Amino acid sequence: MTTASKLKQTLSSLKNARGTLRIYSTQTREEEGQKVFQEALETTGQVIDDLEKRLKEMELQEPQYEGN
Amino acid sequence: MPLWFEILLRSGVLFFLVLVLMRIMGKRNPTRLTPFQFVNYTVIAVITSLTAVNIIENFFFGLTALGVFILLSLLLDYLSLRSKAIHDLVQGKETVLVVQGKVMEENLKDLRLTGEELLRELRRKEVFNLGDVEFAVMESTGDINVMLKSEKTPLTSYDLGRQVSPRREPQTVILDGNVLNDPLAEAGFNSNWLNEQLEKAGVTLDNVFIGQVDGQGELYLDLFDDSIQLPQPRVKEALYGNLERAQAEMESFFQETGDQEAKEIYENNAARLKELMEKLEPYLLR
Repeated sequence: MTTASKLKQTLSSLKNARGTLRIYSTQTREEEGQKVFQEALETTGQVIDDLEKRLKEMELQEPQYEGN
Repeated sequence: MPLWFEILLRSGVLFFLVLVLMRIMGKRNPTRLTPFQFVNYTVIAVITSLTAVNIIENFFFGLTALGVFILLSLLLDYLSLRSKAIHDLVQGKETVLVVQGKVMEENLKDLRLTGEELLRELRRKEVFNLGDVEFAVMESTGDINVMLKSEKTPLTSYDLGRQVSPRREPQTVILDGNVLNDPLAEAGFNSNWLNEQLEKAGVTLDNVFIGQVDGQGELYLDLFDDSIQLPQPRVKEALYGNLERAQAEMESFFQETGDQEAKEIYENNAARLKELMEKLEPYLLR
């Protein structure tokens, strides 16, 4: 498996985690918990952005990875 | 008026009168009364019954006595709220029985409490060794309350130095197959959400005996039909696992890649996720 396709997998599990975090950040009643989940949501989003940028670069540099 | 009819009338009136008066007197637990309060309640009960069965022949004399005992007791309660001195006079003060593990024999004598009785009361609180007691006090109601030596008190998360997630009280949203709308709104959900959750769990509303939503919005169901095994969703554990895996994968990308810029990205984000996991751990795993 190429690095790009591995990275895609990591991205999809992170996106999965982000979805769950979003649910918890809305349905937690307790304020501190809400804050923690919201922060987690943001951080995960930033990590996802970074990795997506990296993935695009890889695909530009070595186009044969695309679609794997 | 025949006697039986008069008794019927008096009993009926007093039944409801006492019901109302006792509601006004408050929610005090009858087993946790000070001796005076106990006598007071007893007198009220006796006057009521004597009046009801016509032993106190004049109904209004009975009511007068009843009124005096109830009004004075309410008045004393009110004054006790206002003044500590009156409170101590009326309710009495607590008496210290054990300090720093040493029994205060003088105080025991004042209370006419024997050593055996003290030990019996301690055992009631599941304290069998006098040596485990740091401090014990007899409340004005006669209850004995015990503070154990610190090494004998149950462990808390604070003692372990572990952070645990704060939690809110659960809300009971289904009872006997009926949706309770107020608690559901209190939990921040509506009936649409509830129906969705029930559908996801594959149960119908009328099969649910009790449904509770905890502070993190997780629904717990108890069914009438106990043969149905509800899957226990492990969403939080799965979420933590997802993050953990992503973090580990990024560390391995960091090892594999030769590109310096990419190395930096992986390293930074792996560290970010690590920090995030530490923050989330009390909420997801405990």
